[in-house]
Amino acid sequence: MSASPTSADTFARLCRARDRLREVHDRTLTIDEVARDASMSPFQFIRRFTAFFGDTPHQFRIQARVDRARELLALGGHSVTDVCMEVGFSSLGSFSDLFARRVGMPPSAYRRHACAMVTVPGMLPTTLFPGCLLLMPAAFAILEKQAAGAPVTLDA
Amino acid sequence: MKIKLTSVMVDDQAKALKFYTEVFGFVKKRDIPVGIYRWITVVSTEGHADVELALEPNGNPVGKAFQDGLLKQGIPAAAFEVDDIDAEYRRLKSLGVVFTQAPTPQGPVTIAVCADTCGNLIQLYQPPRS
Repeated sequence: MSASPTSADTFARLCRARDRLREVHDRTLTIDEVARDASMSPFQFIRRFTAFFGDTPHQFRIQARVDRARELLALGGHSVTDVCMEVGFSSLGSFSDLFARRVGMPPSAYRRHACAMVTVPGMLPTTLFPGCLLLMPAAFAILEKQAAGAPVTLDA
Repeated sequence: MKIKLTSVMVDDQAKALKFYTEVFGFVKKRDIPVGIYRWITVVSTEGHADVELALEPNGNPVGKAFQDGLLKQGIPAAAFEVDDIDAEYRRLKSLGVVFTQAPTPQGPVTIAVCADTCGNLIQLYQPPRS
C-alpha cells in the first residue's frame, strides 16, 4: 500500500504501459521491457499495475489477446490459425486451450456461433459485444422464465 | 419517468462484482447470466436502496474506447457520495485501493478520486454539510 496518491505522471506511465500490453501482435515484448519504459522496476511495475487495473500485466495481456481474437473471429473472414497468429500466439493448441478456458468454447465453435449472429457484414453482433444496457431486456426475460418455472436457455 | 438505474462499464464483471461489494461495500441486487455476460446490479445500503448501479461489460469496442478515453484523461466514470470522505479514504486505502487524488476541498465540496480496478476512475465526494 502506497502512502501517497498516485501522481499524474505515474498514472500516465501506467496508462501508456497498458496500451503497450494491448499491442497483441508484438509477441516479443516482455513485461520487463514494458516496466523499463514506464521507468519502474519489474516488481514495482507489477505491483502498481495490479493495484490500479485489478489484473497483473501478464493477465491483462492475455485478456487483451482473447478479446481481440473474439472480435476477429466474430467479424469473419479470418481462419482460426490467422487469428491465432494475429493475436501473438505461435501455437494453435495453446491458443485454442486458452481461448476455450476464457470464453467457454473453442475458437472454431465461437466463430461459427458468432458468425451466425452477424446480421450486418462487418458489424459485431451486439449479443456478443453488448453496448449500453442491451443486456437488460434479456436478463428480465430470463427472470420471468425462472419465475414461471421454465427451464432457462441462454441465447448466446 | 424515474431515475432508478445507472451504470459503469467494467472490463471484467466477476472482478467488478467482487470490488464493488467487498471493497466499495455495495450489495448485490441482481446477477443474471445472459449468454457469456451477466446482468449485474448493486445497491447501496446507505443511500436509496432501490437505486441500482449496473456493472456493464465493456464488451463492445466502442464502449471500451470511451471508457479508456475517460480514464486516460483522468475523468471519473461515476461519482459516489460519502458522509465522511477522510474516513472513507483511510478505509479504502487500507483495503489496497489506489487513489489519484486524496481528499481535496474544491469550494464547498471535498473530492477524492480512486481506481475501481475495472478500468475506471471513481470520484468520491462529500457534499457541504447542511
